[in-house]
Amino acid sequence: MLTLLAQESFSHYGAVAVLIMMAVIFAVANLILTHLLGPQKQGKIKGMTYESGMNPVGSARRRFNVRFYIVAMSFLVFDVEIVFLYPWATVFPSLSEHSDLPIVFLGRMLFFVLTTVIAFVYAWRKGVFRYD
Amino acid sequence: MSAQFIASLIIMLVMLHVFLGSISYLILLERKVASWIQHRLGPNRTGLPYGAFIPGLPKTLWGLGQPIADAIKNFLKEDFIAPGADRILFILAPGLALIPALVGWIIVPFGGYLHLNGTNLLMGGAPLNIGIIFVLATGSLAVYGVVLGGFASNNKYSFLGGMRATAQMVSYEIPLGMTILTIILMYGTARADYLIEFQAGGVWNIIYQPVLAMMFYICGLAECNRAPFDLAECEQELVGGFHTEYSSMKFALFFMGEYFHMITSAAIFSLLFLGGWDIIPFVKLLPAMGEQTTLVWGIIAVLLKIGVFCGKITFLIFLAMVIRWSLPRFRFDQLMRLAWQSLIPISLMMLIMTGMVVFFGLNRWWLLPGNFLVVGIVYVLMPYLPKGPAVNRRVPLEGSRFCPPVAEA
Repeated sequence: MLTLLAQESFSHYGAVAVLIMMAVIFAVANLILTHLLGPQKQGKIKGMTYESGMNPVGSARRRFNVRFYIVAMSFLVFDVEIVFLYPWATVFPSLSEHSDLPIVFLGRMLFFVLTTVIAFVYAWRKGVFRYD
Repeated sequence: MSAQFIASLIIMLVMLHVFLGSISYLILLERKVASWIQHRLGPNRTGLPYGAFIPGLPKTLWGLGQPIADAIKNFLKEDFIAPGADRILFILAPGLALIPALVGWIIVPFGGYLHLNGTNLLMGGAPLNIGIIFVLATGSLAVYGVVLGGFASNNKYSFLGGMRATAQMVSYEIPLGMTILTIILMYGTARADYLIEFQAGGVWNIIYQPVLAMMFYICGLAECNRAPFDLAECEQELVGGFHTEYSSMKFALFFMGEYFHMITSAAIFSLLFLGGWDIIPFVKLLPAMGEQTTLVWGIIAVLLKIGVFCGKITFLIFLAMVIRWSLPRFRFDQLMRLAWQSLIPISLMMLIMTGMVVFFGLNRWWLLPGNFLVVGIVYVLMPYLPKGPAVNRRVPLEGSRFCPPVAEA
């Protein structure tokens, strides 16, 4: 069974592998070609960072607002939830109606969503989504 | 070397070149749409003969030579790397932005199934059984190109653009994933070809779930960094956003990535909600999977299906262009509020509503009133939600001449 599945999947993923190879070759060829074809000149003023024509002030690699970090953290909560719900969604419609599996699966999903909703409400009350 | 692999390879190679060629013409179409909306002529000087006189051919062919001229110009421009930039990341970023965009569309079954010698051949990309999830996986990789491009440039505009783009793409990925999850829940499969076969000749999903389709379209626009969600590259505030410091073909690679994302999201929208290669809902015109046909009619049907699919993609991209040139851009707080405080709760409710319909084994037509029920619940609940402070209205800009007199605290 497993080997059969692997064989079937392999031939299907073959086209994906070819496409990934072609995409990488395309991107690398473009980057190399444009490097070779264009002129190359450096200069002190030319190498200055563009800041609307003013002399640049300080470095751009500095501390940034913590809000972006919090957004990324709350994204993780939801993304993990969605990833776990995909297998559930593919199985749920085809469960046998004569067993108690559907109600069990629905209960699990609702519990899972409930935990996320708690996190969501907490974040909302904390003002994570408030941008001023 | 199965027959399916060869079929996938042929369709993949053909469609890849069609898309790569059409991207440059999509940029021309975008400029033409802009000129049409703003009541001007748009690019119309560069004809196909490039100034050479060919008898019988007009010299300027509605600017049809413009994309090729642009591509050559991009190759010949200087490939400049600022001395302050992180060289490796700076070169890596455009490639990282382009490669995931080029890969994601492989699961789209353009031509449906061809019945050949008792086997069903999918005349489309690869028939992966993870299907739509593959698109989500490659789509989230696109963030890296943008954020690395912004970080490596050592430019404040680029940095801010990169941060904004990351926050935006990350936020809109959640409702996007939830809407796709809801569709998977309806049919119990993630395979793109099966999802189309379920809709073909019957009811399209946009009729069952109109509100969900609208949400998916909004999230698709935001994931492609398209207006009105193009805060990552808004010209008035950030010059060019994450590609401010980029020149030559590196700059063009970012744009190709963006347009490929548009093509992919239009294809996914049409396969999830518009019945893929189906011509009109409720009427069965083209053969479905496993149906016995003569070889000639089968091949004609495959070509028709590819044509219909490409027509739908073109229409959706045209719609995105019209939206870009008619709607103003969001502010950043509005953008984040739309994602976190409206799209995510509504998509959660949609998920639970669809789960209930599936659980009770109801007819799919119950999803339509269910959609409007969710909208009704939102309208009822809205006045009771906690409101933040009114943004940008009550903040007195002290010292400015527009400042109202501030009361002494």
